[in-house]
Amino acid sequence: MAVKKAFIFSEIEDYRNKLEIKHVRSKNHFVLGVILFMMILTLVYMLVSGYSFSETIPLMVGFLAVLIFNIAHLAYGTTYQEFFTLNKYVTTLGLFALSIGMIFTFKSPSIIISLFIAYSISAFYQDLKVLFLSNIVMLFTVFMIIFNYPAFLGLQNASIESNIGIVLFFVAFMMILSLSSYVIVKQKSFFFNQIASSKESEFRNIDLLIDLKNEVKEKSFSSEKYFDALSEFLDAFCVKIESPNIFTEKIEIMKCIDKGEKDEEILVKFPNYSKADLSRLEDLLITNHHKLRKVAMKLAYMSKLDIKKHEIFSETQFKSFNHQSDSLEIKIISFVLFYTVLKKGYAILPGLDESKIYDVLIHSDFYYYMDPRIIKIYQENSDVFNEIVKDAFKKKVKS
Amino acid sequence: MKHFLTRVFNTEFLPMSEVRKIKVVLVMLFLLMMTAVTIPFSIFLNYEIGFKIGAITIMIVFFLFMVLFIKWDKLMLAIHFTILYSIVLTLFYTLGSSSFYAYLFFYITLVIIIFYQELYVYAVYGFLVVLLGGYFTILNQNGLVLAQDIPGALYLYIVFLVLFYIIFFIQIFLNEKLSTDLNYEWVKMNHVVDKYQDHILYYLNLIRKDLKESPFYEDLDFQKAADELSTFIYEQFKENGRDITNVLDLYVYIHERGLEKILENDEFSIPTKKIANRLSKYMLDQRTEMLSMIINFHTKFKTTVLYKPNRYLYDIASLSKETDEQIIALSLIYLYLSNEITGIDQWEDMKKVLTKEEMKELFNSIDADNFLGFNHIGFFNDNIELFEKYLSKISEAEER
Repeated sequence: MAVKKAFIFSEIEDYRNKLEIKHVRSKNHFVLGVILFMMILTLVYMLVSGYSFSETIPLMVGFLAVLIFNIAHLAYGTTYQEFFTLNKYVTTLGLFALSIGMIFTFKSPSIIISLFIAYSISAFYQDLKVLFLSNIVMLFTVFMIIFNYPAFLGLQNASIESNIGIVLFFVAFMMILSLSSYVIVKQKSFFFNQIASSKESEFRNIDLLIDLKNEVKEKSFSSEKYFDALSEFLDAFCVKIESPNIFTEKIEIMKCIDKGEKDEEILVKFPNYSKADLSRLEDLLITNHHKLRKVAMKLAYMSKLDIKKHEIFSETQFKSFNHQSDSLEIKIISFVLFYTVLKKGYAILPGLDESKIYDVLIHSDFYYYMDPRIIKIYQENSDVFNEIVKDAFKKKVKS
Repeated sequence: MKHFLTRVFNTEFLPMSEVRKIKVVLVMLFLLMMTAVTIPFSIFLNYEIGFKIGAITIMIVFFLFMVLFIKWDKLMLAIHFTILYSIVLTLFYTLGSSSFYAYLFFYITLVIIIFYQELYVYAVYGFLVVLLGGYFTILNQNGLVLAQDIPGALYLYIVFLVLFYIIFFIQIFLNEKLSTDLNYEWVKMNHVVDKYQDHILYYLNLIRKDLKESPFYEDLDFQKAADELSTFIYEQFKENGRDITNVLDLYVYIHERGLEKILENDEFSIPTKKIANRLSKYMLDQRTEMLSMIINFHTKFKTTVLYKPNRYLYDIASLSKETDEQIIALSLIYLYLSNEITGIDQWEDMKKVLTKEEMKELFNSIDADNFLGFNHIGFFNDNIELFEKYLSKISEAEER
């Protein structure tokens, strides 16, 4: 089996996790709702059917315990994200424990189906480890009932067909639902990967755009001009609201940062500030590659974006050299052109050496954007590729 | 098989249509397995031998249709057929037995429908299965309910089936909503990155012309390298590697003549026009998929600032929680956008600077909500005369 490739941009890992947690949190509200509904349903059934309090109360306490654990984990999860992860396992185990408790309380084949309900609720989390845990507990419970408590299924004198059928169908149920969850988890990862990669790609594209603007010496204003205009504006604003100018000190610090003064020197001049304050104020500079410039540029580029409805699930959004509709010839040509441009370079984008190209193409997620057959040929013949390009460009490209 | 398994394990890197295809193939394999078990197992079912043979034959024919639909890339049709097949299989089991395991088969069928994660498909077929399951339960209560069972055991079978259906309905609905939201966000990101890359290409071409470099499609060395590499790869698949040269020639020709002219020209055959159209997304003289991938690949090797948790956040509040700093940020954004070049003007020159009216419109637009809070927009509108007087145009413009 192929080893999983690293992301081309290592920075996205943290953001990917944040996206995951954000969505787990919203799903958990539904899990809570379903458990509460199950609790009410069970309570009503037991009261209507005349079960005693000694039988009803333990089950209700179980439901309440799962609910309270869930809510507590969610509350702590806002500060410590590990609680979200723990919550998934605790809730899954709690649901199966409740289901087993109901099976032992009611001793009826109809209640065995509550295992499916527990399984379906834990499937909300769409987590492979939770899925594995559910499968283990479910399989264990089914075998335990069939071999140790066949009376719960009315199987004391059952035919062989029933025994085989039940085991077979439970296994089939778990198999297909596990596969289903696996594919859903992967599909969700696809979007998380794409969004996180786009975010990093955006960050780096803005950097490149700033470099290019500098390279072509595009008309731009100096920091002094910006600070002068800003100070005049803030003076006028403070006069308008009849307040002393509270901005002066921070503007002075920003000027020092912009001039490239060291943090230590600035902190000597402004002892009431910390390094964290300086880092924050640095982000507010509008020149070079500072964060505020990126904010301003993005705001300008985001305006009047026209997204058509049909684009939302369009395959054309997925940029690759492995489109299903493309013939083998087109796939080969697109890969070859891509490789040749990387080797040759483009304006200020330098030609890349073979080891860099090979490393990203073979060891990062870029690998999956190529037709597997073509990338395999490249992997096995990268030296030949390198020599062909070097020959064609008369050795003017990097090895 | 190894190739298929690799694709299954890497579905997070595959587009939706590919994943759908994998799902259909997986369900087919599962159904094939179930059918293979069914044939020997059918000796336990209460049918005439002729009926059993007939039913199994129908299933095999159904199966062949599914294979053909996948081959022809009619995936939705294949999905419907696999579901219908599993319903037929369910009926075959449940009409021939009244046992508990037959009742379980309704869950198996529901799970197969769930596997596709298509809301409307699940709503319709799933509902049908629940109806059939309810009908089966009522019809076979003697086989399902024990002599000394709990009160209302028959109804519990139905309630659990309905509950199972509803829980997964909610789950599929939430998944679909999540997919749509994520997809929308992704498309939005793609659009904005495309806009950056339009301008990146503009500047790259400007620099290339300054360096007196010819475009790729006019560079004979570049064409030679591409030709030899494509021939080398093609020869690993076909005997005559020269065939691919025609496609490469067409690719170069599109750059020289333009796609429109090729598509309008009656001298070109329909297949050639189709190939030209598909090649157009890899052109090198405009912002295409090819250019996007080249730029993204290159940015990997550019130095970047160290990662901070607010790296991808662009709203003023994420830069600073202090009100005075947010006012500074807002003022500087206004100052920057009113004075710096933000795009291409009406004469196709990279000289567009936003006017006061455009700034006012931009700050009050929905797009600004991702960057500015209500308090910032309120501050701007309350002090608009100061913004326009002191920040809209820096006096005595001076080039850096």
